[in-house]
Amino acid sequence: MSTVPTSAQAPLVCWNCHERTLGTHFCSSCGKLVQLPQGIDYFSLFEMPRQLWIEMSGLEQKFLQLSWKLHPDNFVNATEQERELSLKRSSELNDAYRTLRDPIARVEYLLAIEGERKEGEKKQQAPPELLEEVFELNESLDELREAKASGTNLAGLKARLESAEKNFQVKLQEVDGELQVTARQWDAALTGDSAARKKIMAKLNELLNRRSYIRNLVTNVAKELGEV
Amino acid sequence: MARIVGIDLGTTNSLVAYTDAQSGQPKCVPGPYGSTLCPSVLSIDADGSIIVGEPAKRRLLTQPERTIYSVKRLMGRGTADVQSELKLFPFRIDAASKNVIRVRLGDKVFTPPEISAFILRELKNWAEAFFGETVDRAVITVPAYFNDTQRQATKDAGKIAGLEVLRLVNEPTAAALAYGLHEKQRGKVAVYDLGGGTFDISVLKLISTSEGDIYQVLSTNGDTHLGGDDIDNLLQAFVHELILQHDEIDFSPHGELAQELRKALINVKHQLSQSESATLRFPLPSGKVFTHQFTRGALEALTKPVVDRTMAPVKQALADAQLKPGDMDEVVLVGGATRTPLIRRTVQEYFDRKPHTELNPDEVVALGAAVQANILDRGVKNMLLLDVTPLSLGIETYGGAVAKVIPRNSTIPASAQELYTTGVDNQTGIDIHVLQGERELAKDCRSLARFTLKVPPAPAGLPRIEVKFLIDANGILQVAAKDLRNGQQHSIEVQPSYGISDSEIERMLEESIEYAEQDFGERQLIEARTEAESILTATAKALTNPQSASLDAAERARIDATVAALKESVAGSDYKLIRKRIDGLNHATEHLAELLMSSAVSSALEGRKLAEV
Repeated sequence: MSTVPTSAQAPLVCWNCHERTLGTHFCSSCGKLVQLPQGIDYFSLFEMPRQLWIEMSGLEQKFLQLSWKLHPDNFVNATEQERELSLKRSSELNDAYRTLRDPIARVEYLLAIEGERKEGEKKQQAPPELLEEVFELNESLDELREAKASGTNLAGLKARLESAEKNFQVKLQEVDGELQVTARQWDAALTGDSAARKKIMAKLNELLNRRSYIRNLVTNVAKELGEV
Repeated sequence: MARIVGIDLGTTNSLVAYTDAQSGQPKCVPGPYGSTLCPSVLSIDADGSIIVGEPAKRRLLTQPERTIYSVKRLMGRGTADVQSELKLFPFRIDAASKNVIRVRLGDKVFTPPEISAFILRELKNWAEAFFGETVDRAVITVPAYFNDTQRQATKDAGKIAGLEVLRLVNEPTAAALAYGLHEKQRGKVAVYDLGGGTFDISVLKLISTSEGDIYQVLSTNGDTHLGGDDIDNLLQAFVHELILQHDEIDFSPHGELAQELRKALINVKHQLSQSESATLRFPLPSGKVFTHQFTRGALEALTKPVVDRTMAPVKQALADAQLKPGDMDEVVLVGGATRTPLIRRTVQEYFDRKPHTELNPDEVVALGAAVQANILDRGVKNMLLLDVTPLSLGIETYGGAVAKVIPRNSTIPASAQELYTTGVDNQTGIDIHVLQGERELAKDCRSLARFTLKVPPAPAGLPRIEVKFLIDANGILQVAAKDLRNGQQHSIEVQPSYGISDSEIERMLEESIEYAEQDFGERQLIEARTEAESILTATAKALTNPQSASLDAAERARIDATVAALKESVAGSDYKLIRKRIDGLNHATEHLAELLMSSAVSSALEGRKLAEV
């Protein structure tokens, strides 16, 4: 088994043969399945650098190869310790694949392991440049709720909200486009100095917050409109 | 080690299958009556003995209050969940039951896993008789859309039956495994599985690698309360109305009459899959015979709402897999209900592709379970199955909202970690409520478990406890907690919201072993007697029908003689003799059975036994 080049990797002693082993998945001395070494993140699990542009078919192939080796099906007749370990290792593999496959989850995860974003962080403040539009939207939503309660004609309001929804959908696409551009900047700066990388991460973080805010808006509007 | 079998524990029928060592092909084990289908019906005799399968099914008509079918609908559910089922199914829920339903059968009370365990034990017996060796490990299939509690209940049933359940496999995935072997398919496959009580749709990707074939489930969706039974219910309600228009009749679902009508209507439904029209002739207690001519078109108009309800999950599954109907390379139909032309047409039109129906839709799931059993058993490493969890796992947060921690359609095993701390000084516990479902509020999701994390007293915000939620390869949740400050593992007492406790399972296991002590011969005798009783009742009843007057004297004498002979053998204890005489009576009453049927349907049903009419 190949080893993952990462500075964070701690030396590990195999639970079975007690040799020091550097194998990521199987002990290089006795071949038994081992714990994931400390400090191995999802990127190094897949033996790739912390880059944001990932070639999907390559990721999938690696995922299938590792699934083949780690899946609990292989350990039905093994000891309980190995069965537990295979369950843990294959769940970690699936979690890693689920995260890296999704472009947004991938950025969130990168920022988390780089220490730039706390788990579950979502700023729910409106981005300043959207303040006016958000204010109008919320007003229309309130009107819609009132109109629904009193049973008055909703056609005009509905049309206004639908166009606002479209408008925010466009903004969502813009944010996604910006995220892509910034992700490429991150990949280009992978080997660059830490100040430049910090700046890019701050930008990514801000874009994620903006995206999450707009997506919530769109979901809320769609929900209110769906109930009409 | 003894072999591992594959079991399809179905709503209507259950099967057990194995992989033939010579051909490498999966096969179903035949039961004592020659069929591979064991009706999922259980009946309890006045002396407390348990009857399962075909003989129990016959007792649905003679002893409805001691007999239960479709128990799968109750697995892993609470009393409040099943109120709507109770209007349509003759379940007698014990008044004392709360989060775990208890069903009354005669003077005994059982939980759904116990009843399912009797069915599993019967299949275990079939397999042991077939192989001539002990069978104690199994792969059991479950509807893909079963939640954690329904899966746990199925696993419990296996345990009570004395089976180690090595894996729960989703039914549509099992079907894909069986078809994969059969057809050597590649690419994207949709499996449409409409069983007796559940509907599942799964989208899979079949990948060939240098090491073997991988079956990767991309998405799944469904409805655990939608199935062929619902078609029967609609049909039954429709005919009830018609009959009530010209006769006052008690059609309580517990009654014998309702059961008989249901049986007659299922016959009509089956005929309409083959021919364009069929006639129902149903003798009423008043002596009148209710007659109604059905066309296939009328049946389809009546059952279209059920078929339509399957399409929303189909669309959602495709959307979740980010695919369109035209992206599918293959479509597979599974489940007895997919024999109906309306369903075949609807699926074909939607996917614009002729669905596969080559394998027997009743057997294909069991065959797939046998394939997975073989993978686990012999360490056959040329196939791997990667399945998904059908429902999102969530944690209740402030204000009754749900935070999703593992999204639906995540490949399993899957896990998530959440970090918890305290809100006030010296707080000693943190309450955690785990849920499953797609809705935003906790009250609209399925409650899986509640537990309290014990925290050593400390200033607010200081404790850091990591809780790990892990969904295993069976789709069942495990929870573990770790104190990050000292690395100590916390043991968590998870009280399942709808489950049976481990100690209760132990007790049930002991009790079920007592039942199992009855030896093979004794069981054969009980079953033969039950069957005899059922055909004797049917014959006596048929002879009171005015139609029987047209039997000639010789025929009548022959029937009377065979009835007497059968009664005599039932008093003895030779089950082979009883079986022989049952066959004799069946033969002697063939003409009588034909007389009781309308001339229109008699040709279709030629050769039927009286008890089946």
